[in-house]
Amino acid sequence: MSNTDAIVNKLIVLLEDFTQDWDTELDSAMNPETRLLADLGFESVDIIQLTVAIEEDFGLHKTPFDKLLMNNGRYVDDLSIGQIAAFLEPFVAAAA
Amino acid sequence: MTRTLFIGLDGCTFTVLNEMTRDLPGIGVTMPFMKSVMEGGARAKLRSTPNPLTPPAWTSIQTGKGPGQHGVFDFIRAEDKGGEVFWTLYDSRDIDSETIWSIASRKKKRIAALNFPLTAPPPGNVDGFIVPGFIPAKHLRRNTYPRELFEQMKQNIAGFDPKELAWDFDNEKQALEVLSPEETEKWVRYHLPREEQWFKIAEYILETEKPDLMAVMFDGTDKIQHQAWQFLDPALVPENPQGWEKSMRDVCLEYFRNLDGYIERLVTLAGPDAQVFFASDHGFTASYEVLRINSLLEDLGYLKWAVNDGSEQALRREASDFANLDWSQTTAYCRTPSSNGIHIRVAEKPGDPGIKPEDYEQFRDKLIQDLFSLKDPDSGEQIIVDVLKREEWFPGPHMKHACDLTLVLRDNGFVSIRDYKPAVVKRPNPAGTHHPDGIFMAYGKGVAAAGEVELRQIVDVTSTLLYSLGVSVPSDLEGEVPQSFFTSEHWSENPVKQGARTRLERSNEAREEMDEEEKKKMIEQLQMLGYME
Repeated sequence: MSNTDAIVNKLIVLLEDFTQDWDTELDSAMNPETRLLADLGFESVDIIQLTVAIEEDFGLHKTPFDKLLMNNGRYVDDLSIGQIAAFLEPFVAAAA
Repeated sequence: MTRTLFIGLDGCTFTVLNEMTRDLPGIGVTMPFMKSVMEGGARAKLRSTPNPLTPPAWTSIQTGKGPGQHGVFDFIRAEDKGGEVFWTLYDSRDIDSETIWSIASRKKKRIAALNFPLTAPPPGNVDGFIVPGFIPAKHLRRNTYPRELFEQMKQNIAGFDPKELAWDFDNEKQALEVLSPEETEKWVRYHLPREEQWFKIAEYILETEKPDLMAVMFDGTDKIQHQAWQFLDPALVPENPQGWEKSMRDVCLEYFRNLDGYIERLVTLAGPDAQVFFASDHGFTASYEVLRINSLLEDLGYLKWAVNDGSEQALRREASDFANLDWSQTTAYCRTPSSNGIHIRVAEKPGDPGIKPEDYEQFRDKLIQDLFSLKDPDSGEQIIVDVLKREEWFPGPHMKHACDLTLVLRDNGFVSIRDYKPAVVKRPNPAGTHHPDGIFMAYGKGVAAAGEVELRQIVDVTSTLLYSLGVSVPSDLEGEVPQSFFTSEHWSENPVKQGARTRLERSNEAREEMDEEEKKKMIEQLQMLGYME
């Protein structure tokens, strides 16, 4: 299993726990293509909470999430689990 | 056995509390239990942090240190990223000092902390229970400590509803907005079931767990006072309210009557051997005018607004509570209304926008002079009555994160950062705003029926709670235990024990700084992924 796959799996476990009290209905199990806003019904405050949860679960500190969430000074429209995993990979490797 | 019960009352002030505990014609005593607490205990005004704001002030209560030491200054951190603002919230990991929850746990005392700001994510180094405040319902389970407590509350507390008790960002924003009469009443009513939810959790934990230190914070006091101050301040309450005004007065009284009942029940459950303390993070008063600080700084030549091209993004940017400025031509500005302060832009290297580092003192003195020169055109009175320099008011390792200058306005109001003229306008109606003096009260075994005693400092709360728990007070706490709160017998039998300095242990300890090679590798990977230019 590649590092990104391992991070995707860990993110899916985190997100299943994270959204368990939400009224989200997914057509299929979470996968790398699952998107935060379109599929999981995230709002902006949920994204802030998710960044905290990721740092807690992955043992990260002061991760520059603005690089993930913004592009050319604008917030990105949505993010997939796979995109988050790819972003996290170097930070997770450095923290290991 | 619960030895110490701490009830936080956000924004509570004696201006209102004195009214609620006296016999008012046609109303009676709204808070009869609090009346007995005030008559049988000791109380003092409590001076808040230099900017009397919820996050820094409650963090000072939780750490016994000022913001320059604990590092929390505001609700949010905002960075201008060009077209948009990147927001992050302060959380428990930003508190750079050991909290009372950790200190007490280290000294073998079990704690419960309910609804306190910046207790999420829950730190792992406590023995007890944390249900954090200021967290949306959807995230409460994950931030409750221990995790199983959330399910226990669901199963054992009748009517437990996270949606009713938790923080709703859209609703909370209304605290500082101008609302219609109907919305204002709805806003006050929204807090009635909310406080009952927190009361039920406190009651459940106190009954079933009896932690040594039981602490719960009720924050409806602050929220209601922001929007309904004119129905609570005896100087402003309508003499013979009718219609909507009567309805507003009634619902405010209902809130405080309910609160009195919750407090009585918790004090009774804690038992006659417990000591009970009440504190607020700041007080309250009336604000009569609005100072549009960035507009003033523009008039004074320190600031230039960004051009608004009318696009959707530009409008969203304008509406955000973060100043939208032309950074190349701005030397001093206010970042957020809640900061009530001014940042001075100092060039990091030659050619950068901002003033030269060597000009800082002179520039700042001139700015202070200019701020003091703002006068009420009718009375000639100064509108900005004090300007606090950060090195004098926020000493400590986090001083550099404080505003260069913190403003004290003549009505204690918070500034506006909107691009409107004129710079100063009268409010249509007085609005509630924070006053530096909150409340600190003690009641119960060993507490003197001393009535009102000398002014105390917000950092005294931490030392006092630790003293009440019977544990030593760390030597680096900034506060003192108020002797006047206690009977002479209690004081002589229980001298204050000074202990070793606090220890800051983090469950997720900040890792060692990366070495240059690791940093380079990471930047390369981020560039490859397209996250960095």
